Amino acid sequence: MSQAETSVQSGSFFSKAHEWVAQSLTQQNKISAYLEPLIQMAVPGWTTEAIRSKVIQVRPETNDVYTLVIRPGKRWKGFTAGQHLQITAEQNGTLQTRFFSVSSAPAHFRKTGLIEMSIRVQEGGRVTPWLREAFAAGGICNLTPAEGDFVLPAGNDPVLMIAGGSGITPFRSMLSQMAATGDKRDAHLMFYVRDEANALFKEEFEKIAAQHENIRVTFMNSAEKGVFSAEHIQEVCPDFAERKVMICGPTPMIQLVRGVVSEQGVSAENIMFEYFGAAPIELDRADAKDAYVNFEKGGVAAMSSAENPVSLLELAEQNGLKPLAGCRVGVCHQCKCTKKSGVVLNTLTGQYSDTGREDIQLCVSVPVNDVVLDV
Amino acid sequence: MTTHLPSADTLESFHKDLDEIRDDIMAKVGQEDANYIRKIVRIQRGMDLVGRLTMVAGFYHWIFWVIGVVMLGCAKILNNMEVGHNVMHGQYDWMNDPHLNSREFDWDAVADGNSWRRTHNFEHHTYTNIIGKDRDFGYDTLRLSDDVPWKDHYRFQPIRLIVLMLMFEWAVAYHELFGERIFIGKRHKEGKLPISHAQLIKDFFTKIRLAVFRDYIFFPAVVGLFLGWPMFFAILGGNFVANLIRNLWANIIIFCGHFTEEVHTFNEEECVNESRGQWYYRQILGSSNIEGSKVMHIMSGHLSRQIEHHLFPDMPSYRYMEAAERVRQVCAKHNIPYNTGTLWDQYKTVVARVIKYSRPPKKTGEVANA
Ligand code: FES
Repeated sequence: MSQAETSVQSGSFFSKAHEWVAQSLTQQNKISAYLEPLIQMAVPGWTTEAIRSKVIQVRPETNDVYTLVIRPGKRWKGFTAGQHLQITAEQNGTLQTRFFSVSSAPAHFRKTGLIEMSIRVQEGGRVTPWLREAFAAGGICNLTPAEGDFVLPAGNDPVLMIAGGSGITPFRSMLSQMAATGDKRDAHLMFYVRDEANALFKEEFEKIAAQHENIRVTFMNSAEKGVFSAEHIQEVCPDFAERKVMICGPTPMIQLVRGVVSEQGVSAENIMFEYFGAAPIELDRADAKDAYVNFEKGGVAAMSSAENPVSLLELAEQNGLKPLAGCRVGVCHQCKCTKKSGVVLNTLTGQYSDTGREDIQLCVSVPVNDVVLDV
Repeated sequence: MTTHLPSADTLESFHKDLDEIRDDIMAKVGQEDANYIRKIVRIQRGMDLVGRLTMVAGFYHWIFWVIGVVMLGCAKILNNMEVGHNVMHGQYDWMNDPHLNSREFDWDAVADGNSWRRTHNFEHHTYTNIIGKDRDFGYDTLRLSDDVPWKDHYRFQPIRLIVLMLMFEWAVAYHELFGERIFIGKRHKEGKLPISHAQLIKDFFTKIRLAVFRDYIFFPAVVGLFLGWPMFFAILGGNFVANLIRNLWANIIIFCGHFTEEVHTFNEEECVNESRGQWYYRQILGSSNIEGSKVMHIMSGHLSRQIEHHLFPDMPSYRYMEAAERVRQVCAKHNIPYNTGTLWDQYKTVVARVIKYSRPPKKTGEVANA
């Protein structure tokens, strides 16, 4: 115990000393950050922040879903089925970063050194359509270590997986991992698809289900059956109450399913769910166009009315926060902060932001939809 | 000096023309700009490393020492001006590169980046050349306009100019603390700054320690350890001279940007409820450009395009050259003065201005009781 403590302390002493010396010699937190531009001359795309990896192939799945096949760099440590990671690639000079779940199994990674990420092209999105084109002939991207706790619960409890659209990706990873390792846990997947043509990985799931009697897969065609309802689970998976329920899909779908299964008596600790991107802000709003702004560090969620929107800076101040600011007209950049998600309008340039993580100026940004800020 | 404003119509169409330039150019910003700034960073890092090594080769022949010092000086200039100043303005924030981010970046100088961001980005760029509000105007030590009330000590300002040139990085470091009267004079009340005085002082010394450790302890000591005392002092002296080169150059460029003969000053009343066109107009009258070679523009951090920088402070510096051509045409069209000249010509007028205002004002009534 005491040994462990000293080693932690000396570790932090050395890392502090390294940081201090690096700051002094290079004005960077790490010496490697100073060398990064020089290293990039030999190894394009190398960064201190993430793991340089190769996109091997872009494989079309349906009309608007494709899979990136990636060989992660050596420093990448592997993952647990269901986890996600950030992928970064340079688009016209801008480093674009997005979260995606790994859709292939850890066993597959161990065998081939490859992982897959299945991505839906977002309408009007800047990054998802571009990735497909940009990596058509392969290329370099950067990955972060896998993270997230949307993974199969410990123990051997039976599970019910409810997926909507491209929310299938973590489940594909879990089920193919179960199949590869001969996991005997009872798993039932209900997969909601828009129509036949959008039934992702259909053959693959049917094959797994046919070969493993503990795995069952039911495709739910929303065009015929409509959205998720209490009747659906009662009919398809009557023993749902004894299972852990895992949900992944578009935001409204998750909210709907959570509501229905808890009404049906499944307790909150037996429901697991994962949103694509940031979790939505769950508050009532008078007008559907009103946006909520979540000031994460301040722990405040504030409503911004669509009718007379104010800048994020004013909104923060109205809610008792005091973010750093100066000119208040977009000149000085003191009010810069990180937007984690959501779209804002820059009132100076009249441009809409992207949906992902980026730096914005609070004083000239007006929320367009729900925004999460690191303030 | 009260400024005569063009008509509201002129200002309005002037404003539209300038916005159009900004929108056109900003729409083009992308890969090219990213490649450019990365290239400059690479050159800067290369010169920094090679310069320091070459200085060590001064052990064999003094000429290497000289070459090394000049290279290091140039590396510092690039780091402070084309990279530091511009990155810290947020010109390259759109790249999402954590190492070229306005909030994170710090430069190779004794001045704390955060302190500079507060005084420069905010005060200077918002209140450009408004006497009493923009303390970059004369850096609190020079009188460069009759609007600054006369005090006897201004007689010596030509000497001050020389001291300021040599110690420029220290002046920038001390600038904000001076404004708060931290060490000299009666301290201002807390609360005007977003950080406490204690924090301000702490940051000030932290940054000085970091910078001094590198140039005057670490590198001299490492080299001295292997090559003996004379080389310890050679490296220490070399680093000192390199810092001096940077101070001189930065100071000259910056002074040419705001203190040339024709540059106007403003008073606070003129600027209340200022329209955007008026703001643009003030930026143009309050700045001046320098003409010269491509290398000169890069080494000046494109502050040779000071006018454009003041109009569009977050446009990537790489675009200022093309912006300048168009801004100049727009100024000509609206009959608005556009102040530019060679480095030599501009600097002569700076020196002339410093000398001119080091003499007490003639009592013509107009300024006597300003
Ligand atoms: S407060 Fe100055 S840019 Fe926002």
